[in-house]
Amino acid sequence: MIKDFEYLAPKTLKDALTLLDKYKDEDHKVIAGGQSLLVLMRQGLVAPQYLIDIKGISELSYIKSDAKEGLKIGALTTHRAVEKSPVMKNGYSVLSEMEKRLASVQTRNWGTIGGNICHGDPAGDPAPVLIALNATLKVAGLKAERTVPAEDFTLDYFETALEPGELLVEIQVPSPRPRTGTAYSKFNIIESDMATVSAAVSVTLKSDNKTCDDVRIVLGAAAPTPRRAKKAEAVLRGKEVTDSLLKEAGNVASTEAEPLSDIAASAEYRQELVKVMVARIGREALARAKKA
Amino acid sequence: MSKYSVIGTRVHRVDGVEKVTGTAKYTFDMVLPNMLYGKILRSPHPHAKILSIDTSKAEKLIGVKAVVTGKDTIGKKQGIWRRFPELCDEEILCREKVRYIGDAVAAVAAIDEDTAEEALDLIEVDYEPLPAVFNPMEAITEEAPQIHEGVELNININRHLEWGNVDDAWKDCDHIIEEQYVCSSQAHVCMETHDALASFDHNGKLTIWTSTQAAYYIQVLAADMLGIREGDVRCINPYTGGGFGSKFELDSAQFCAALLSQKIRRPVKIVLNREEEFTATKRRTPMYYFVKLGAKKDGTMLAKEVRVITEGGAYTAMGATALYLTGFFSSFPYKYPNYRYDGYRAYTNTAPTSAMRGFGAPQSTFVGESMIDNLAEDLGIDPIEIRRKNGMTPNYVVPGQAWIQSCGLHECLDAIEKHVKERGKLPPNRGIGVSAYGFMSGGIFNWFDTPYAFSSAIVRINIDGKVDLFTGANEIGQGSNTTLSMICAEALGVKLDDIRIHSADTGICPPDLGAWGSRETLMNGNAVKRAAEDAKNQLIEFAAAKMGINIVYDMDIKDGWIHLVDRPERGVSYYDIVKDAIRGKDGEAIIGRGHYTPHRKGMISPAYSFGVQAAEVEVDPETGRYKLVNVTTAHESGTVINPVGIEGQLEGAIMMAGGYGFCEDQPMDEGKILNPSIADYKLIRALDMPETEILEIDTYEPEGPFGAKEAGEGLTNPTAGAIGNAVYKAAGVRIRHLPITPEKVFRALEAKKKQEK
Amino acid sequence: MKHELKFTLNGQPYEIYIKPKTLLVEVLRDELGFTGTKRGCSSSSCGACTVMLNGASVKSCSILALQANGAEVVTVEGLAKGAELHPLQKAFLDHGAFQCGFCTAGMLMSARGLFEENATPDVMTIKEAIDGNICRCTGYNSIVRALTAVSKGEYKEES
Ligand SMILES: Cc1cc2nc3c(=O)[nH]c(=O)nc-3n(C[C@H](O)[C@H](O)[C@H](O)COP(=O)(O)OP(=O)(O)OC[C@H]3O[C@@H](n4cnc5c(N)ncnc54)[C@H](O)[C@@H]3O)c2cc1C
Ligand code: FES
Ligand code: FES
Repeated sequence: MIKDFEYLAPKTLKDALTLLDKYKDEDHKVIAGGQSLLVLMRQGLVAPQYLIDIKGISELSYIKSDAKEGLKIGALTTHRAVEKSPVMKNGYSVLSEMEKRLASVQTRNWGTIGGNICHGDPAGDPAPVLIALNATLKVAGLKAERTVPAEDFTLDYFETALEPGELLVEIQVPSPRPRTGTAYSKFNIIESDMATVSAAVSVTLKSDNKTCDDVRIVLGAAAPTPRRAKKAEAVLRGKEVTDSLLKEAGNVASTEAEPLSDIAASAEYRQELVKVMVARIGREALARAKKA
Repeated sequence: MSKYSVIGTRVHRVDGVEKVTGTAKYTFDMVLPNMLYGKILRSPHPHAKILSIDTSKAEKLIGVKAVVTGKDTIGKKQGIWRRFPELCDEEILCREKVRYIGDAVAAVAAIDEDTAEEALDLIEVDYEPLPAVFNPMEAITEEAPQIHEGVELNININRHLEWGNVDDAWKDCDHIIEEQYVCSSQAHVCMETHDALASFDHNGKLTIWTSTQAAYYIQVLAADMLGIREGDVRCINPYTGGGFGSKFELDSAQFCAALLSQKIRRPVKIVLNREEEFTATKRRTPMYYFVKLGAKKDGTMLAKEVRVITEGGAYTAMGATALYLTGFFSSFPYKYPNYRYDGYRAYTNTAPTSAMRGFGAPQSTFVGESMIDNLAEDLGIDPIEIRRKNGMTPNYVVPGQAWIQSCGLHECLDAIEKHVKERGKLPPNRGIGVSAYGFMSGGIFNWFDTPYAFSSAIVRINIDGKVDLFTGANEIGQGSNTTLSMICAEALGVKLDDIRIHSADTGICPPDLGAWGSRETLMNGNAVKRAAEDAKNQLIEFAAAKMGINIVYDMDIKDGWIHLVDRPERGVSYYDIVKDAIRGKDGEAIIGRGHYTPHRKGMISPAYSFGVQAAEVEVDPETGRYKLVNVTTAHESGTVINPVGIEGQLEGAIMMAGGYGFCEDQPMDEGKILNPSIADYKLIRALDMPETEILEIDTYEPEGPFGAKEAGEGLTNPTAGAIGNAVYKAAGVRIRHLPITPEKVFRALEAKKKQEK
Repeated sequence: MKHELKFTLNGQPYEIYIKPKTLLVEVLRDELGFTGTKRGCSSSSCGACTVMLNGASVKSCSILALQANGAEVVTVEGLAKGAELHPLQKAFLDHGAFQCGFCTAGMLMSARGLFEENATPDVMTIKEAIDGNICRCTGYNSIVRALTAVSKGEYKEES
């Protein structure tokens, strides 16, 4: 049963921030699409006194891109809009592919990419991809704005770097460097389910189109937060990326994972999956980098 | 051309327009003036004594109109095995003791759901937790706590079946294998959860609308539990959003709604939420199988010995039948000259296990079909060949048990053999597994102790020729209203559109045991056919008289034309004769009556359907993840009355039985189900569904209406076994513990690699 | 405190007052009596509550009704025009794309959302569109066949 609350529906970002500032010491919660929040409210796990509905703030729903500034996505952009946006073809198609396997069409039609990130679920799909893409998140409070690297945004299970009174307003993804390829996939048993384990890999090659100049490997559902496998990255950086090196990277990544056992899979199995996923997705990212 | 006008044609469901327009009313949708909303308080303990229940605070909450506990009941225990009082062990509202997490202890009726829910929080129950036992193997040991008073070793029931001489037969076997299997739990997951709207009037008469598979059972059991006469209870099953075995016992929604309404004399509606549906209704019976199987070198199977221990959960429910049927169907579909089965059902402090589509046969078929593949491999015989060598044939008698009349198993094997050949050489990591099965068309057992015929129907022909068909059959989505209307139309010789069916309303329909055990088509179909023929014969009398026919001619009705069988052009309109006949009967409408109870067909069922399924999977050897690529089924169910209905039953069964094989499970921790939501309980969705093909094999069942038999539950039997065999073919690992999850396949692959090193 | 909700349902404007916690599905079913829309899980997992909101399919059990302020909502009751069934409904009937019918309203609305975006979806796109909808009866394939027939133009809306 959802407990009663007071409902506030600002229509502009400024109004929203003003309200948030006003209620920041009260028992309040922000709702965007509610696809994650309402589940918690129904179970009584979250029962705010004030609910601030930001879904109607149209100025936070947009997708923009240019070569210099990169890609900018408003926090209230729906998953479906990201998935379907033609802009993603300019080097961000991994975002569109990721969205296509996130939940169901209905959930994507209403849920927002910002809400997903702010929910802080370690099994969420967008965060690993955004970290691999080296994205930055713009956060606004009434008094100030700041940016947080996507990889520093999730602090623990369902806990983020947002301070009371702050909203996530924009996701900023830099333009991909030349010879960069990024890929993402999740392992699950039912196609549209949450990830049992996921991995995103972004590879940038040197001008010889063989040697790894830079790489970012991100694991999802394998630790309390989406996590970069930095030791695994080190295995690849500066080297010619081969299948066996990718396998080694997978093995190393698996030692960096700290998965839990739950009803979907045991921790040991998740660790094995990390090995396979990192190698496979790395291979895909490499192939894309070579073509880019 | 078919000799039938209606049977075998592709028709729209008779409830179709209402269902696609959203106007079909389910219990879930019903609202009565002055109606209250009920909620049920459930035990958080797997096993505990109830020391006291204090409802005073809840009663004081504004908006609460009634609270009931076990003290408000007449103190009876109920069960569906009424012939055996010791198996009627469920109070529904517990008085002294709770036996599983989810057992009901109190119920509240209030002006809205929120108030009712708030009131639940105000009820104080003082429990004394007792030691609990969850695993059936532990439950049957001396050390285990006793769950029901007087039930030694927690053995709820045992079952023994035997023919031939198993002990002697082993020495004639060239090869014997012994294996163990574990079959998991499964939830029905009907899209409409259990619900009921109960309304007592001031004359003490109860009407209860409910989502059920057996309105008649609910009428009888509710009357019994409330201490009123059967005739004072009218149970109506409007539209029902799925049953699959979960909805033919009296459940907590029905009983608590009725009890609250009895107390307050206002309509009370209770809808279980999805979590209650997962944790506090019944489920498929988990089973531990120990099997020994022996054969000659040439593959002739000589003996099979099966021991099974089932996890009963807290109450008997339909588990007694599941225990029996899993034993009987462990011999299916083969001719074992020597066979022995010993089954034990153990009480445990877990949610009760009961009937679910296939009723013990999906478990036995998974085990049996896995083992026959293993046996074939050991003996170097082709899997289809070994099934052919041992498979049942028409008119086979299962010694002392059953007489199988029609049987198309061998034709099904031929069809699947051809299919497998046509798939050609498979790419790496792919495999096709086959699995053969059979199932009954309704049970002959009368543990419910009904004094009535198993099925009955009444046909009333009105002045305009429109026919009202009254039957106790329960439409739960399986399409019985359509199938029975088709049988009625065919038997009477009129159009489908002439039939208006009224079903599963105990106030106006004759009793029927309900939609379980795949019984409606054969049993109720026979009753409907007989009722229609009774009415038809009355019309023919009038037609013969009117036409002045020589008595040597035989008459019939087809497509609304009453005619001479040998000279079809000579006849009169059905619609005209109806008018004459009613006038001739002094204004009485034409009423036809029919009933059916199986006789002289052995102890189990009047007829059996057979089939063979081939499942194709593709395994990812690095992760164990596999995909269901294709499932092709050759099956026979006698005359096909409603082809669209059969296709739907088959494809739906693959979703459910494929899920049983692949991903559906109910893991528990100390009796607590860990995945009580649709997000966590894995169900096959559209993107996961394999392509499906159906190969229809013709048979004719003499016992069935127009030669028809079941095509409902049996289709759930083969899939888990076929998947297991396919995984073995594709990856070389045999999984003996359902469901066959990728993680299990992965571990088996790892173990195999280690062994090979 | 109750809030005003103004929206259009199946072409008809409504103005009602509701508690803010009221879900869209509760407004449709309980406040306005449009019970064609079902609830199977109330947690966004089964799709039985799917309706169209401003032209896109959504799960009405997981949307606060007040979020639909000013919106246009279409439910299964809005498909047929009087006695004339919508092409999707006809296709469902012809292909036996339902049994118990409890998932049907949601399936139809997911399908409606699909065809609003794409008049000729292929099989994968069709499966994807109904993947958020559980059907425990049919095994989905008959629904996919029905929608494939619509995609091929076998069912045209009469103008
Ligand atoms: C059935 C189902 C399946 C799902 N499957 C997947 C899946 O496969 N992969 C996946 O990644 N996710 C999945 N999800 C999760 C879900 O899709 C997203 O998390 C959801 O879209 C979140 O967006 P929202 O707008 O609905 O957020 P809400 O539920 O409204 O909010 C989520 C949280 O974020 C906060 N919040 C929202 N927006 C902001 C903001 N701009 N600034 C600050 N705080 C904010 C809220 O206060 C709340 O705590 C699934 C959900 C469901 C119901
Ligand atoms: S009721 Fe809304 S998705 Fe199940
Ligand atoms: S028709 Fe029953 S759930 Fe789909």
